[in-house]
Amino acid sequence: MQYHHSCKNPLYPTSLCSFVAMHTMVEVLMVGCTQAEGERLAHEVQQRVWDMERRFNRFDITSPLSVVNTKAAAEAVSVDDELYMALEVCEVFRRGTKGYFSVAPTSVVGLAPYLLNASQHTVQLCSGDVQIDMGGFAKGFAAEQIKTLLIEAGIGRGVVNFGNSSIAAIGCHPYGEWWGVGVENPLCKGIQACEVRLCNSAMSLSGRTPNGEYHIINPHTGVKVAQDELILVEGRSALVAEVLSTALYAAPKLERGAILSQFAGYEATEIYCTADGVKSRKIE
Amino acid sequence: MNRKEFLSDCGKMGLAGVTLSLFPWLESCSPKAKLAVQGEKVRIGIIGTGSRGLFHIKHLVQMPQAEVVALCDNYRPHLDNAAQYYPEAKLYDDYRRLLENRDVQGVIIATPLYLHAPMTLAAMEAGKEVFCEKSMAYTLDEALEVYNRRKALGRVLFIGQQRLFDPKYVKAMQMIHEGVIGEVVGVRNYWYRNNNWRREVPSPELERHINWRLYSEYSRGLMTELACHQLQNGSWAMGQLPEKVMGAGSLIHWNKEDKRDVYDTVSAIFTYPNGVNMTFESIISNKHFGMGEQILGTKGTIDLVTAMHYTDEPAPKGSGMHQFIEQIERGVMSNSVFAGTSWAAESSALAPGKPIMQDVKVVSGESSVGAEADGSKELLEAFLHAVITGKQPEKVLEESYYATQFALLADKAMHENAILTLDEKYKVPYEPLK
Ligand SMILES: NC(=O)c1ccc[n+]([C@@H]2O[C@H](COP(=O)([O-])OP(=O)(O)OC[C@H]3O[C@@H](n4cnc5c(N)ncnc54)[C@H](O)[C@@H]3O)[C@@H](O)[C@H]2O)c1
Repeated sequence: MQYHHSCKNPLYPTSLCSFVAMHTMVEVLMVGCTQAEGERLAHEVQQRVWDMERRFNRFDITSPLSVVNTKAAAEAVSVDDELYMALEVCEVFRRGTKGYFSVAPTSVVGLAPYLLNASQHTVQLCSGDVQIDMGGFAKGFAAEQIKTLLIEAGIGRGVVNFGNSSIAAIGCHPYGEWWGVGVENPLCKGIQACEVRLCNSAMSLSGRTPNGEYHIINPHTGVKVAQDELILVEGRSALVAEVLSTALYAAPKLERGAILSQFAGYEATEIYCTADGVKSRKIE
Repeated sequence: MNRKEFLSDCGKMGLAGVTLSLFPWLESCSPKAKLAVQGEKVRIGIIGTGSRGLFHIKHLVQMPQAEVVALCDNYRPHLDNAAQYYPEAKLYDDYRRLLENRDVQGVIIATPLYLHAPMTLAAMEAGKEVFCEKSMAYTLDEALEVYNRRKALGRVLFIGQQRLFDPKYVKAMQMIHEGVIGEVVGVRNYWYRNNNWRREVPSPELERHINWRLYSEYSRGLMTELACHQLQNGSWAMGQLPEKVMGAGSLIHWNKEDKRDVYDTVSAIFTYPNGVNMTFESIISNKHFGMGEQILGTKGTIDLVTAMHYTDEPAPKGSGMHQFIEQIERGVMSNSVFAGTSWAAESSALAPGKPIMQDVKVVSGESSVGAEADGSKELLEAFLHAVITGKQPEKVLEESYYATQFALLADKAMHENAILTLDEKYKVPYEPLK
């Protein structure tokens, strides 16, 4: 982990930690704590994210998720509270997004990938080819948890950045009423395509990877969506923003408004970038 | 000040902004050096006016210092093509007759590989200065003979390794020598195409004459035709020569179509005395990755083909969060532009890189004739310059010599299924291009 503390401005000392987790770079900026306190929190944050990464890692054969993926097609498997809760939330999101958010987008096209039994705390996969991948959920979930952890520790201003695509703000910039986050035009390095003002809120972006690849799958067809626009979602929770941006990107344009209307307090924008400029449209 | 001193003084001027003094063989490319030979003309003969020969001619017609007075090719249609550019030139079908022409000062040889050494030797014996296409020779022994004979005769000899004159390579190597990417820990070269490497043949008896590349009687295939260009990257970057070579080659795809006997798939590993490996890989039945040459260092990577520099530092200063910190330190607020679809993890090729210079011309490696802006023109100009001054530039022939020797050695390793070292007898004095 890299940790950097600055008290060049004694009114607002800053602490920044960065580490790699969940295949991305995690950065946490905390304003107003001492060097030691910041460092302690940074380690706690990293530990929490790594724990979560391990639990949700389908490639780690010892993870609870792997147990589900290998055994739960044949019989219902009982799981711990956290995984149960996560799967429950994912199912709510799947239904709330008309099926365009799915943790098993390639397996049972358009259907529920698993069944939960609340009294037994068990999960059963609906078919042998279902493989649950929490990738589209874990980052938003982790960002949300870190935010809570920091607020509980008394941090009133800060930013949690998961790989530049999922960003949650605590409070606002000490010298403004928000944190001003510029969305970079993917075709022009360093050039801003639009601005997002975060204050006790979060944002998420979905689109092609920085390498230009299409990677989001439409769960209704099982194939990758080939669209060049970015989808930006802003709202209170980093988790909801993350789920929504993925679902809206996967959904056909005409269905986007209806999906978004299920989530009160969230705004979404389609952003088209070219090397010469940017066009954007609010989803309504 | 005599001409030689004057020319060696010219090293501080710019070849597209590059510090020439660091690379003495580029001296002749400086504007001052060009000025010094202004008005002088070199009488040139060209042996082999096929596709590469014509490519050179298209550059030569733009160079006032070159006067092409003789052309030779034993395939009449190719000779006629070339003669259109130089109607006054004397035409030959036997290169030995061209070499007897006293008017010719320098020759450019662009014939199939197996002819390079005999033609170069004969030309030097006949008193000509020589530019011969790569690779330098068809066998290790012939390459050594050419090297030694040149030295004994004191002739100018250039080999067609144009990367040594390509501004983006020169700049990249300068950065590597300055430690920008840290210690060099790996060198990767590859060259992929998806075509049968054949040329059309007007009648069957011309098959071997035209498609000489495909037959081991005339060519060593991908190693001498492609690899030798890239094999100098390791020595140029690290200033040392490989210690051992291993490789594997096979004919996996195009043999279904014809009777060729050179590999269409090769992989070779060259290990340097410091343990660093350089790889070369070529497949001509898949072209997705194209041509690539990368120098890998402990702090970053330089991609020679695209002239990009990638750093391995995960969170470069100036990232979005650092911008927020700087604002808070200064008591101001503004936007920080960093949001995007995702931070590109681990693979530094995905991390955003920086161009090492402006106006870079990227060459795809798809053409088997040559590409514009790949250093070929500068190389030719440097040769003409050397013919005028009679001065062989330092170090550069050795680089070409070893590129050929290691291409041939790797080919041998593949055929013998062995790990090979270059025999002592083939070692000539080597000074790093640093
Ligand atoms: N430096 C580079 O990037 C580069 C690019 C392409 C080719 N080359 C090299 O240039 C050389 C020629 O390649 P090419 O693609 O032009 O091949 P090519 O077959 O088009 O040309 C070779 C020519 O040599 C002639 N020739 C053959 N035997 C002869 C003889 N005994 N006397 C006179 N002429 C004879 C042929 O008729 C033909 O016109 C090769 O060594 C190749 O490796 C270098």
